[in-house]
Amino acid sequence: MSRGMRSISRRLTAMNMLVSGVALLLASAGFFAYDLVTFRANLITNTSIQAQIIGSNAVSPLIFNDAKSAENTLLGMRASPHVLYAGIYNINGNFFAGYRRGQQSPPSSLPPFASQMNQVSVFSRGRFELVRPIDFQGKPVGIVYIQSDLGAMNDRLKSYAIILFVILGISLIAALLLSRISQRSISAPILRLAETAQLVSRKRDYFVRAPAAVEHDEVGVLVNAFNEMLGEIQKRDSALEESERQFRNLADSIPQLAWMGEADGNLFWYNRRWYEYTGTSPEQVAGWGWESVHDPKVLPKVVEQWRSSIQSGRPFEMIFPLRGADGTFRDFLTLALPIRDDHGKIVRWFGTNTDVTGQRRSEEALRQSEKLAATGRLAASIAHEINNPLEAVINLVYLAKKQPDNVVKYLNMAEHELERIAQITRNTLGFYRDSASPIEVDVSDILQEVISLYARKIQFKNIKLRSEFGDGIKIVAHPGEIRQIFANLIANAIEAVSENGSLAIRASRVHAVNGTGSRAVRITFLDNGSGIAPEHRGKIFEPFYTTKKDVGTGLGLWLTTGLIEKHNGRLRVRSSVRPGNSWTAFSVFLPEGFNTTTI
Amino acid sequence: MISTWHAAGFPAFPLFRDSDWNPTDGKISPERSEGIDHDKKVRVLVLDDEAVIAETVVEILRQEGFEARSVPNGSAAIELALTWQPHVVLSDVVMPGINGIDTGIQIRQIIPECKIILFSGQAATVDMVERAREQGHKFDILAKPIRPEQLVSIIRAGFGPSS
Repeated sequence: MSRGMRSISRRLTAMNMLVSGVALLLASAGFFAYDLVTFRANLITNTSIQAQIIGSNAVSPLIFNDAKSAENTLLGMRASPHVLYAGIYNINGNFFAGYRRGQQSPPSSLPPFASQMNQVSVFSRGRFELVRPIDFQGKPVGIVYIQSDLGAMNDRLKSYAIILFVILGISLIAALLLSRISQRSISAPILRLAETAQLVSRKRDYFVRAPAAVEHDEVGVLVNAFNEMLGEIQKRDSALEESERQFRNLADSIPQLAWMGEADGNLFWYNRRWYEYTGTSPEQVAGWGWESVHDPKVLPKVVEQWRSSIQSGRPFEMIFPLRGADGTFRDFLTLALPIRDDHGKIVRWFGTNTDVTGQRRSEEALRQSEKLAATGRLAASIAHEINNPLEAVINLVYLAKKQPDNVVKYLNMAEHELERIAQITRNTLGFYRDSASPIEVDVSDILQEVISLYARKIQFKNIKLRSEFGDGIKIVAHPGEIRQIFANLIANAIEAVSENGSLAIRASRVHAVNGTGSRAVRITFLDNGSGIAPEHRGKIFEPFYTTKKDVGTGLGLWLTTGLIEKHNGRLRVRSSVRPGNSWTAFSVFLPEGFNTTTI
Repeated sequence: MISTWHAAGFPAFPLFRDSDWNPTDGKISPERSEGIDHDKKVRVLVLDDEAVIAETVVEILRQEGFEARSVPNGSAAIELALTWQPHVVLSDVVMPGINGIDTGIQIRQIIPECKIILFSGQAATVDMVERAREQGHKFDILAKPIRPEQLVSIIRAGFGPSS
């Protein structure tokens, strides 16, 4: 038991003792005071009677002036051991006869005495003095003086005090014993409750119960309430345990790797899949130990972003490789969300790692196949572009053969058509002639080439085309891919506008594509088509998303975005669907310098 | 299966639907020939947005004894078809405005007997024709470029080889 526990019983005992002690003392003091007063009154009465007896016996000696006889009378005082001195004085106060015990000296003077008064008694300096007149036939004839010590009273008080202390002692011991017994009924249940509480808090064992109280008093209520509380805690504990178990079962059954971390970013739990995949032990990866399964080249970036998420409380999202138990890395999309309490304070981080290696590969494959498909479509459209003038040439040659008069006219026309074919093949060649490493390319030239490729379509729809770009806007890039980016965006714009619509293409130098201070080029394709509804705007970059099922595969913008990102660029779309004033603007931002090592 | 009618003074152009054609003898059921004006030349409407193609084809057909006229787009073709009542429409497929297939469908509604022949330089048009077929609109399609002799004989036969 602790000191605090002991003090309750000690304090109860002390309080009992104090109460009974004080009561006893007060009672004794009362008795003592009463006795003192009674004793004094008795002393005065007794001494007064003695003085009266002496006085009546001293009348005749005084009248006959027989001092000897008076002294004999006074010798009777021997019987009173406390009388120190007794004297008879004549009416004038002159000494007549005296008695003294031992060497006791007579008083130098009598207490002040008025003859009319009956008697005077004085307590002073441990002595008692009494003066009484002696009357004879109604006239005072002398004075009796008696002085005694207070030994009798002191003796009485002494024995009285001894008795008091003995009684007090016995009473206190009795009180101690009685309080020991009586307190047990109050303090014992409290002490047992305290013991139980300590046990619970020490062992975290909510199955124990405080012994039920016998009495149905406040302590009993306290014990019952405490036990009920324990029961409630136990219930909640098991409910919590159950939900925790369910959560872990769930977390262990998902194909993702999952983990939890403290608010400070220290991870303290991982699901079974994590340990299976990484082949690590809980000790190895606790806290920041997960760094060990990261690619050292990527780790600094991961740590930087993770720290910034912890600081800002913003969700963490990143794709990075994790080393498996077999030593090979796979790419994981990692998402981590902060879990907050009622006050918005982050209490925990919950994260998952989803293996996206396969997805990334299939995306890559899709990109490749879409590239092939795009090439196929390009070939088809080139065939069409060539087939038309070819048809014209064949007809012209036929007519030239049939109409000798018009040979020159028809051959001139045929020559013009052949020139068209040559032009198409020259432009088309650019799509295939791509260098392995980026080279300096002129954005304006590529835009011109692509525009001329779509010139017929633009003419078909009677689209008003505004080209707002000067010469000499150069970037370092893969020309074939840049051509493809432009071709996709122009084709989309042509598709988007209605007949007699307008299309503007602008290119200019701008600052910083990514805040690094490097210069960039912005190419904007603005059409006045019907616009893209806000709910579609986020989806248009997803693969297979298309609003024109007949002509599109839904891969164009997705592929375009991929090519732009490969060049460390960015694609931005803004659009308005306001009737009568709808438009869409795709802006491509490409850095002027393109470093292959950053891919 | 080459035509038995000749350009010079051929008596009539047989008007028929695909289902009427009997590929074994290349002849038309007699009852289907009724009501055709045997004294007039076969009228061919040529629709192509490429002026050079449209004009050269018209020139070739006229040389071969057809009556031919060209239009640059679908709406002009429908408009002319209403008044001119062509026997054959030869149309490009991919064009600004109404495409060749939709033009053909509309002309068929005006002149059910009119023979529609599509010709295109684009492989993708095969799919468009296929989709039209699924919706109940059958068309024959020729691939550009086509030799003029072949074109003439097909129009004469009133039948294009299955694409």
